[in-house]
Amino acid sequence: MFRKMKNHMMVFMSRRMIACDEASFLISYKEENKLGFKKWWQLKMHLLSCHLCVKYAKQIQQLNHMVLNYRDACNSSACHHHLPTEAGKKIQKVISRELHAK
Amino acid sequence: MSEDETYALEPQRWVEKHGDYLFNYAIVRVNDPEKAADLVQETFLAGLKAKDNFKGLSTERTWLISILKRKIIDTYRKQYASRESSLEDFEQEITDGDFYRTEDPFRGHWLEGSGPHSHSLMPEGELEQGELMQIIQWCISNLPPNLASAFIMKMIDEATSEEVCKELEITTSNLWVMLHRARLKMRKCVETKWLR
Repeated sequence: MFRKMKNHMMVFMSRRMIACDEASFLISYKEENKLGFKKWWQLKMHLLSCHLCVKYAKQIQQLNHMVLNYRDACNSSACHHHLPTEAGKKIQKVISRELHAK
Repeated sequence: MSEDETYALEPQRWVEKHGDYLFNYAIVRVNDPEKAADLVQETFLAGLKAKDNFKGLSTERTWLISILKRKIIDTYRKQYASRESSLEDFEQEITDGDFYRTEDPFRGHWLEGSGPHSHSLMPEGELEQGELMQIIQWCISNLPPNLASAFIMKMIDEATSEEVCKELEITTSNLWVMLHRARLKMRKCVETKWLR
């Protein structure tokens, strides 16, 4: 059994290293999915040697955080978008017309 | 629930009572004031047509929002249908010449200026909430429409992956690539905005 595990490890270790394109894809993919062992390992190995992708991973976390903040603010109407007065008047007219047509 | 506890519709006061709310909801999701105002109008008109179906079990606003949601998804679908050919690009590769180098032996490495520069996306010191909101909104509005719809449905509406795929008629692998591309663009956009 140990030999089998060792063989598996050798196969994993000798896999080609992935480049930044695949690594950054996995960093994003990881947000919604669980990585299989092989992908997890490839990403781990890449991050050990690539400071740019380490930064990228950290920034993607921050981006998520910002977008969630944005979402919460907007859901609580803190975005302060008001229906433009002109558009409101026009829509009111259309509604009144529809109501009277009936 | 007794009969007098059900909700009633007052179409004459919709603009006054729900206009801003619906507009705000729409503009966050379509990022275009004109389009958002059109959607509000379409929602009210659809509401008038369907008002006999209103059972009074939810509030008027909840009911109108559910109509608006359908309208927004229809908009996303239309954006999608108009770009059918580009769907095939997503199938093929995660590599994108705008972000990564394409020549050997550096194939797949970050293209200069496309990878992260600063340590943090957040500015030093106190976070200016208002400015942050503006930047996120600006960057979302700068995404290509099809990436924006997937990103918004997933991140803002918190739809499940299955829902997004079903509504946009795409496969899950399309979705992961689209979200990845949206994040690449969003990250770069936010970083550039702060550094400016």
